Parts: sequence; structure tokens; C-alpha cells
Amino acid sequence: MINFIADLGAIAVGKLVRIGEALLMLLQALVVRPKVSSFSRLIQQLYVVGVQSLIIMLVSALFIGMVLGLQGYTLLSAYGSEQAVGQMVALTLVRELSPVVAALLFAGRAGSALTAEIGLMKATEQLASLEMFGIDPLHRIVAPRFWAGMISLPLLVAIFSLVGIYGGHLVAVDWLGVYSGSYWGNMQQAVDFNEDVLNGMIKAFVFAFLISWTALYQGYSCTPTSQGISAATTRTVVYSSLAILGFDFILTALMFGGTV
Amino acid sequence: MMLEGIIDIRNISFYRGDRAVFKNLNCTIAAGKITAIMGPSGSGKTTLLRLIGGQLKPSQGQVYLFGQDIALLSRKQLNHLRSRMGVLFQSGALFTDLSVFENVAFPLREHLNLSSEDLYNQVLLKLEAVGLRGARGLMPAQLSGGMARRVALARAVAIEPELILYDEPFAGQDPIAMAVLQRLIKHLNTQMRLTSVLVSHDIAEACAISDQVILLGEGRVLAQGSPAELQASDDPAVKQFIHGEADGVIPFHFAAPPLQEELKGLNHD
Repeated sequence: MINFIADLGAIAVGKLVRIGEALLMLLQALVVRPKVSSFSRLIQQLYVVGVQSLIIMLVSALFIGMVLGLQGYTLLSAYGSEQAVGQMVALTLVRELSPVVAALLFAGRAGSALTAEIGLMKATEQLASLEMFGIDPLHRIVAPRFWAGMISLPLLVAIFSLVGIYGGHLVAVDWLGVYSGSYWGNMQQAVDFNEDVLNGMIKAFVFAFLISWTALYQGYSCTPTSQGISAATTRTVVYSSLAILGFDFILTALMFGGTV
Repeated sequence: MMLEGIIDIRNISFYRGDRAVFKNLNCTIAAGKITAIMGPSGSGKTTLLRLIGGQLKPSQGQVYLFGQDIALLSRKQLNHLRSRMGVLFQSGALFTDLSVFENVAFPLREHLNLSSEDLYNQVLLKLEAVGLRGARGLMPAQLSGGMARRVALARAVAIEPELILYDEPFAGQDPIAMAVLQRLIKHLNTQMRLTSVLVSHDIAEACAISDQVILLGEGRVLAQGSPAELQASDDPAVKQFIHGEADGVIPFHFAAPPLQEELKGLNHD
């Protein structure tokens, strides 16, 4: 029994040490005076992390919006209130689905790529060679990727909501015949900027932080072998997905808990 | 304390887990010479190179680089010291997202403030020295292993360092690339008057170009001297390594029970 408790304690201490290491890595990477050249590296990473994730986001958002429109219409028309489908689609997306689904997709698409890229740079001694050129890989490699994640995901979440709302419109209005004026009008009345849009964006920033941090730490600290990189990539997706879902509940409780 | 060389290693011990890679290792690398660090696999050659470059810290003892104890340097000072040396990694370690030209230009851009014309000319001259001026537009993925190593060499000498560390420069190279690399290392050493340290277990190639050989084994320096002195050595470990004998004081087999006990389905009677 004592041994079991001791083992449990050792595991907990081990995990805490890893979290401490990850925090230190982030601090070392981010506490630096920015240079002009770091701006061009940020732009490059914004393209890789953000722009290249756009297609998967657009397609997913369109389908999710369409499904929401269809489900909403079926459910609401039973009570004769299918005019409310616009507000249902918009609130579901802006408050909940856009940040969570976009973040999960982002973890799978961009997070895993970041881990694999940095892991391979480590395995092929590119990080070591940067170090030997007197350049800190944390500043050169980790920092621009972190900021690119922090900027891209909130923008992608906003785009996700817009496209999703359009998808809902396609099904509810163009296909099932809900009056377009009530689709937009109800939405305008029900969606509050601070309460809904801003809270959704706060979630997006929190998730962006969790994903970028996890992905970069896993890549930077992975065992530089093919097995090690594959395990680190898996860990990135698993840990960030769990963190997204867990934090989503906490944030939702904090933001909307009092009003339910 | 008197320091004698460009690199002085004093009483260092280094552990990986419980295993001691080095115990009280001492050696000196003289300026302007080619020094080969040799030894069987697992004798800590690459580890020693990383200790010299400051990428690893010894558990005990001091590594003096250009007369300075690298453990006492700040990150900034260490980076400054590193700008005076070049490293050729075993894999070449070219930046895969940059072209051959940009890879060689990289240290020049980082450390020297050259005009774009000077930068262009410098890169072309370095690539010419390794015979790859025509390949400047290629990406690292389009190069053969030998070519990648030569580009990495051009990059390592781009800022004209005082010291250059080669990690297994000959491993996995075809005979032509091997001979070219050998000539290049020798040529760079005499032309640019730099100090070269090469880690290798290609005895013939390394001995042919080096002025001094340091033979590592059992966590210490087994022997040190000119290639000719080592060839003539009576020390059994040195003889075994230099002549490539499987049986001798350096065990070829990893510790294991006798083979007869481990094979299955054999009747020992």
C-alpha cells in the first residue's frame, strides 16, 4: 500500500516536473526582444499554421452549419418556431462549436505537424546545429510557431463561425424555406457581442495557447528517433484534445454558468 | 594553471544515468593541427565533441575553449565563443527548408554584416571550394549523402572559424567522396590555418591526414600521439583497435551469458 502511494506520488511529481520544464521552455522562448527578421519568420509560420489549415476549417464549418440548420429546423418546426433556427445555429456555433471543433481540427492538422517538424529537426541535428551557430533554437524555431498559433486559431474560429452560419442558412432558408429575414433578424437579436462573440473568442485564445504550447513542447522534448517522434505526435493530439474539452467545460461554467 | 592548447580538457567525468562515459579524462588539442579523436563505438567520441561545443556539461572537471572555462560562461558569451568555431555534424544537419545557397549563407547573415554582393560572392567561393557551385539552387532533399556533407562543410567554414569540429566526416561515404573530404579537410586546415578536430573510426583515413591522434576507451584516453607512434605502439588495446582485431582487451561482445546457454533446443550432453 505504502509503495503504491509512493509510486503514485512519484508519477505526480514526474508530471509536475514535465509541466515545469514546459513552462520554462515557453518562458525562455518568449522573453526576448523581437527583431525585424523575426517578423518575416512569423509571417512564414502564419502561412504554414494558419492559411494551410483554412481548407479543412471551411469544409468542416460548412457541413457543421448545414447539419445544425437541418437538426434545428426538424426540432423547432415541431413547435412551430422554425424562425428561431438562425439564432440557434449562431449561438451554438459562436459559443461552443466553433472554438471547440476548430481547436480540435487545429490540434490534428497544425499541432501534430508542428510536433513532427520540430522532432525531425531535433533528430536530424538541425536544432543542435543552430545552437552551434550561436543561435537559440527556442527563439528561432519555437517562438514564431507559438505566436503563429496564437494568432491563427482565433482568426480561424471567427471564419469557422461565419461559414457555419452560412451553411445553416443554405439548409434552413434556401432548402427548407425558412424566411430569410427571420433567420438573420432573430440571430441579430439573440446574439450578444460581449456575452457570446467575445466569450467564444476568449475560448479560442485559451485553446490556441494550449495547443501551441503542447505541440511545441512535445516536439522539442521528444526522443529523436522515429518511434519517439511518432509517440510525441500522438501525445500532442491526445493531450491537446483532452485539454481543449476539459478547459471548454471550465470556461463555459465560468462564462455562462450563472445565467443557466 | 597553464593552458596549452586551443582546447584543454581537465579531469572531466561525465555520466549517462549510472554509466560513466568518462572518468577523469584529460587531453589537450593543439592550435593549428588536425587532431583525430578515435575509439571504438560507444567510447564517447561524439559525447566529447558535444562537451567541447558546450552542448553538454561535464559532471565534474573543466573544458577550456579558447582559454575560457565554458561552464562559467553566460549563454551570450558561449554563443559568442561558438561563432568562432564551426561544426560538421554527422548527418550534415542542413536546414531542410533552405536551399544549398541559403544554407551556406546562413552563418554569414547571422554573424557578419555583409553587403548582398559580398555575401553572394562569399557563398559562391565556399561552394566552389567543395565543388558544388553548380548545385546552389538545389534543396537539401535533392542532394546525395556525400553532397550534403560537402555543403555542410562549406557552411561550417563559411564564417572562417578558428576551430572546426568534424563528427564522423567519413562515415557512410563512397571512396570518391571520402578522398575528396579528406583532401578538403587537409586543404582547409593548411589554407585557412584553422584547428581541426575530427571524430572518426575510419582509422586509415583519419590517420592519413591527422597530426595527432587521441584514442579513447574505457572512459579515458588510452593513448595519444602521432599516427606513426600509435601504429608502432605495444599497448594491447591500441594494437587491437588500430589493427581491427575482434579478440583482445576491448570486448567486441556486449556483456551476455555464454551462447550455449542461450540457444534454444540444443542438447548440451
